[in-house]
Amino acid sequence: MFGDQALILINDARRSTASDTLLKYNDETVRLVRRELRVLDSDIASTIGDNLAAPTPPPGVMCASTFYHIAIRRNIRCLLAYHAHRIDRLKDQYWASGGALPHVFNDQDTRQKLSPYEVDFLRGYNSLIMEYRSDLIDTLDIAAGITHPPKDLHVLVQVVRDCGTIHTENGTIDFQKGQRFMVTRSDVEHLLVQGYLELV
Amino acid sequence: MDYSDDFDAVRATSSTAWEDETEDIGQTSLQRLTRWWINERGAPDILVWQAQLVEELLDSLHNQATMVQHIRSDPRTSEQEHFRVVLVQTEMERVKFLIRSYLRVRIHKIEKYAGYIMREPGVQVKLSSGELTHAQKYYDLISKYFHSSALEGLPENMRSLDEQLPNGRSMITEPDKDRGVFVRARKKCENVRLPNGDSLTIEKGSIHLLRYRTVEDLVARAEVELI
Repeated sequence: MFGDQALILINDARRSTASDTLLKYNDETVRLVRRELRVLDSDIASTIGDNLAAPTPPPGVMCASTFYHIAIRRNIRCLLAYHAHRIDRLKDQYWASGGALPHVFNDQDTRQKLSPYEVDFLRGYNSLIMEYRSDLIDTLDIAAGITHPPKDLHVLVQVVRDCGTIHTENGTIDFQKGQRFMVTRSDVEHLLVQGYLELV
Repeated sequence: MDYSDDFDAVRATSSTAWEDETEDIGQTSLQRLTRWWINERGAPDILVWQAQLVEELLDSLHNQATMVQHIRSDPRTSEQEHFRVVLVQTEMERVKFLIRSYLRVRIHKIEKYAGYIMREPGVQVKLSSGELTHAQKYYDLISKYFHSSALEGLPENMRSLDEQLPNGRSMITEPDKDRGVFVRARKKCENVRLPNGDSLTIEKGSIHLLRYRTVEDLVARAEVELI
C-alpha cells in the first residue's frame, strides 16, 4: 500500500539501466498500481465527504486528504517514469539497429518482453522516422550509425550470418557465411549494424 | 575537371587553427556547420536550425556525387584522377556523417522536449518544418501511449500529462539551462551578466565554465562557441 507497488516499478527500471538489459514488461505490478490509484481516489473522496464545501475543513480531514493526495501524485509519477524509461530504452534499441524495425521485432527475446502498447508505439515511431528520413534519403540516410566517423571509404568485412545477395553501387555481392569482402562502407553499413557482417 | 575546390575545402578543414576562425567570412559552410554541430551537442537547449548551411552542404554533396559518377564512368580518367575521386568520396562520407549526427542530436532533443516545444511558440521557430511536424506527431504518439498503457481506467482528474505541481515542478520536461557548459570566446565579449549580478569580460580565445543561461545569447550570436 502507499507506493510499495510503484517502488517495484522504479526498482525494475533501475535494475534495467544498471544491467543494461530490457526486462519483461511488468504487467501485473502496473495493474496493481492502477488499482491502488483508484482505491486512493475513493479514499480521498470518502475522507473529504461532506467537508468539500466547508471553507476550513477540520485539521484531521485536511491532513488525511493531503496524505492521500501526495500518495496519488507519487504513484502516478512512478507509473509514468517506468513507462518513459522503457520507451527510452526501446528507442535506443531501434536506433542501434539502424532504424530497422523488423530487426528489433525479429529478436524473440525482445519481442516477448514488450507490451502490446509498446509494439504499437514502436510501429508509430517507425513511421514517423520513415517520414522524416524520406525527405533526405536521396543524399543521406539519417538512420545510419553515428558512433564513429568514417575513416576509410572501403572496409574489409567478414560475413557472420548468411544474408543473401545484396545490390550495391558496383554490382551485386553474394554474402555467404565465412567469406571476406572488401566493400564500400556505405553499401553495407546497415548489415554491419544489424550484425550480419563484422569488421575485420 | 573542376574539383580542385573540394580539395581546397578538405585541406582547409584539416589544417585551420581556430584563431583564424573568428569571423564567419572566409569560412566554408562545412566549417561553420561543424561548429554548430559541436554547439548543438554541448547545449542543453535546442539551437536555431541552420537551414542555409545544411542546404548548401546537401547541394554540394549532390553535385559532387554526380561529378564522381561522371568521372568514374569516363574511360579516359587517369589513374591519378581515380585516386583523387576516392579522396573526394571519403570526404563526402565524412560530411554526411556530420550532417547525420547534427540531425540526430536535434531529433533526440526534440523528442525529449516535445511537450515543451508544443507549449512554447518561441521554441517552435528554431525548428525546421520537418522537425516541427516530427515534434507535433511525436508528442501525440507518446501521449497516446501513456494514456493507453498507464493512465487507462484511472479517474479523470489523474490523467493529465501537463500539470504544474504545487511545488513548482511541471510534468513537462524543460531544458536545464542552468547546466554548466564550457565556452571558448571567438571574440571579446564585454559585460556578460553572471547570475549573482556581477559582470564579466571574456577575452578572445579564453575558455570559461559558465551556466548555459548566462551565455545563451552569445552562443546564438556565435560570439562564443561551446567545446
